[in-house]
Amino acid sequence: MAKLAGKLKINNRLHVFRAERRLTQEQLAKAVGVTRATVVALEGGGYNPSLELAFRIARYLKTDINNIFFVEEDAE
Amino acid sequence: MKRFDIILLKIFLWEIPIVILYGISLVAFDLEMIAQSNMYAKMWYLFGGGIVFGSWMLVSFLLSIRLMVSTAFREKVLSKITFLKERDERESMLTGRAARNTLLTTLATLLLLFCLSCFQFSLYRVPQEQAVDGKDKVLILNFNFALTEDQQQKNFEQDQDAEKIIAYKGLPLSGSSIILGLICWQIVSYNYLMYRAIKCED
Repeated sequence: MAKLAGKLKINNRLHVFRAERRLTQEQLAKAVGVTRATVVALEGGGYNPSLELAFRIARYLKTDINNIFFVEEDAE
Repeated sequence: MKRFDIILLKIFLWEIPIVILYGISLVAFDLEMIAQSNMYAKMWYLFGGGIVFGSWMLVSFLLSIRLMVSTAFREKVLSKITFLKERDERESMLTGRAARNTLLTTLATLLLLFCLSCFQFSLYRVPQEQAVDGKDKVLILNFNFALTEDQQQKNFEQDQDAEKIIAYKGLPLSGSSIILGLICWQIVSYNYLMYRAIKCED
């Protein structure tokens, strides 16, 4: 069984999904109930959202949560 | 927030400029003296000092009690005073971090203040005839802790003939200035740490 005690680097494709849907950071922030600074921090990788916020974003962008948020090693 | 709290808060805020004006007129124009001869000055002296300042003191006291017992009132008022922002989960997390660090730095400051207030030392030079083995300097160390101010012994037993070189008899600050300092420290520390946490994220 793989060891999972280490820190996972969670990344996201939020800016890609947002651009595809032609949404501004402000619009996305308002829709999911956070500030624009939080969206900026999310896109910059400076902040990992709670599970609830991650689901809210995925639901708003009408996609699976795994399409937006993923563990860094998955991307490799 | 209850209606009573809102009224208290409004009275407190509205009376502040009058209290400041009263304070200025007391210090700058020697109001107490002028009030003995001038009718208007006497009225201002009684109104400003007796009614406004008195009621402001009473309201301040009631407000501080309400802040202690009412969670909603405390949340509303103190959040504004400390510039506390929790608009979403990220800000809540940052606030938590900043508050934790503020708690720890305040605790460290309190420990330092405790040491500074309890430790006392004195270094003095005694006359040659009292010197032991040619050593004429005496160092006294003391730990002074008391529950009340009256019990606190500020002075050392020191020989009248001794020449003082250096003496530290605890914190020279008053209790109220330390409390005010700690209030300011809490606000400044929290805001600085919050600013740094946001800056680090960018």
